[in-house]
Amino acid sequence: MSQTITIDPVTRLEGHGKITIQLNGQGEVENAHFHVTQVRGFERFSEGRPFYEMPSLMARICGICPVSHLIASAKACEAIMSVRIPHTAAQLRRLLNLAQMVQSHALSFFYLASPDLLLGMEADPKVRNILGVAAAKPELGRAGIALRRIGQSIIELLGDKRVHPGWVVPGGVTEPLSAAKRDKILAMLPEAYSSVGLALGAYKQIAGTFQPEIEVFANFPSNYMSLISEEEAIDFTDGALRLIDADGNIIEDGITASRYTEVIGEAVEPYSYTKFAYYKPLGYPDGSYRVGPLARLNIVKSMGTPKAEKELAEFKQLAAGPVSSSFHYHHARLVEILYGIEEIEEILADSRILDKHVRATAGVNRLEGAGQAEAPRGVLHHHYKVDENGKITWANLVIATGQNNNAMNRGVLQAARSYIKDGKFTEGVLNRVEALVRTFDPCLSCSTHAFGQMPLEISLLSADGEVIDRLFR
Amino acid sequence: MTEPKARCLVLACGNSLRSDDGVGLKLALWAEERFRQNPEVRVIARQQWTPDLAEDIAAADSVLFVDASVKSPPGRVHLIPVSSRVDPSAQASHHLTPNQLLGLTRTLYGSIKSHAMLLAVGVVSTELGENFSAPVEAALPRARGVLEKAVLRFLGS
Repeated sequence: MSQTITIDPVTRLEGHGKITIQLNGQGEVENAHFHVTQVRGFERFSEGRPFYEMPSLMARICGICPVSHLIASAKACEAIMSVRIPHTAAQLRRLLNLAQMVQSHALSFFYLASPDLLLGMEADPKVRNILGVAAAKPELGRAGIALRRIGQSIIELLGDKRVHPGWVVPGGVTEPLSAAKRDKILAMLPEAYSSVGLALGAYKQIAGTFQPEIEVFANFPSNYMSLISEEEAIDFTDGALRLIDADGNIIEDGITASRYTEVIGEAVEPYSYTKFAYYKPLGYPDGSYRVGPLARLNIVKSMGTPKAEKELAEFKQLAAGPVSSSFHYHHARLVEILYGIEEIEEILADSRILDKHVRATAGVNRLEGAGQAEAPRGVLHHHYKVDENGKITWANLVIATGQNNNAMNRGVLQAARSYIKDGKFTEGVLNRVEALVRTFDPCLSCSTHAFGQMPLEISLLSADGEVIDRLFR
Repeated sequence: MTEPKARCLVLACGNSLRSDDGVGLKLALWAEERFRQNPEVRVIARQQWTPDLAEDIAAADSVLFVDASVKSPPGRVHLIPVSSRVDPSAQASHHLTPNQLLGLTRTLYGSIKSHAMLLAVGVVSTELGENFSAPVEAALPRARGVLEKAVLRFLGS
């Protein structure tokens, strides 16, 4: 008799999803899926809107990473306008994206992942949350809150709002940076350094105890994709796409936004509203790849800043080639926070950052445009078509979570097969399956919701739908 | 960049696109205007209360949470003491309750408030919409009065 285990909803994620695990008659895991159960529809309802509205409309997709949508969208609009934005505007956007990376990665590591990492996968679910972390490791709780505050405060200083700032527009940004705001940002950085240093130290101390999880948390060879600068350094905001294989060989390079359709295809599966991106020449699912912090650190040759450079060298010691276990996303995220802080400091050290010329203007000069930027969870593509009046006639977005979708599903299957034997499971076992998904930090919507108050229900069903066992959290 | 220390923090929560759920934000806007000239009062309005706010609470002597309540009778205005004792069965990740936030503040910053109250307004509907129901609309003057009185009491003590 076959059985299905359902984890619904999956907790401590951005958005709404569930996991189903199918067992065969012998109680072995036959298949497993991560389902994204929400529909958004942004691509369709943007049709008919003026193209210059797109950045602010598209930013509403997400409350955690709106900045990446703003930037990718503005770039797509600039391709339609055929303008090159002023240098200072480009640097200001980089600042904004770096600040977002800091606050989003801090949210993922401290609020969502650290309960598992610091309290243990088997800890009582009643305390396995941010309150439990605060009680057990208050210094890390304070560090997480500080990094979130610093990232969000920089976003607010630049864009006047912590969430959904309207500052990034097609052609650049609406306001230059003042010296007073620059100095306020600089004053925050010492606390940011000490906070991320604390987190990196704590993580490295405990990472070794998770070797069993490292072995089975989406630990398989795959391709990786990210933006990379001409100097082969990490670049969240500009640069071009590089794709490497499981051995680290470059299989695509220098792919600019206008060429993304040459390499990226999107497949659909009946069990999820999120598409499955793949590398076209290899087809689906063989062409699946991973994006985000793990992919970025696997691909880049350099971080471009001294402290992060040392951390990258240490990270790359984790494997002879690309680091393949998704558990190491956590480590990569912390290295990227450190890089973000250093890069913010470097950008602000250049006096040209206060230049007043921060916007270029133009009308519709092309009927199609695409833009790309790194979001915290991976590279993001926006692609629009317009009519001669600039009204959107078609839009396509390829988001990071869709690009990690196949790896997440393979990872869920790998972890489930490793942990569930003879049809038996415990809350701790199922938490590990959820924790595997959390390593990717998938962003399923990030709109207002109160996940912390939702129960977790896990049901074991017979083939005819009869509930055999049920766990509540 | 923590804000300058304010003696009283008004911490409102709600969604202005969810009908009566926006009452907390409406009261926060009023409080901002009412206490604009008073540097001892700080007003923060959010769609949800997140752990980050523990820092802001720690920086104040007193805190007045303001929120809609689906459990209270429509239009009823309550002023309820908030304890920092956390219900161990309650989970927390993206969104915290007032007592969880207060508990987190105490745990992380050792900060105990001289006053911590929740001003709750009983609501009818939290469906999509930008208008308040008649009971909530009618309750606004009383809610404003309770809010003002509470803040002045916090400042006076």
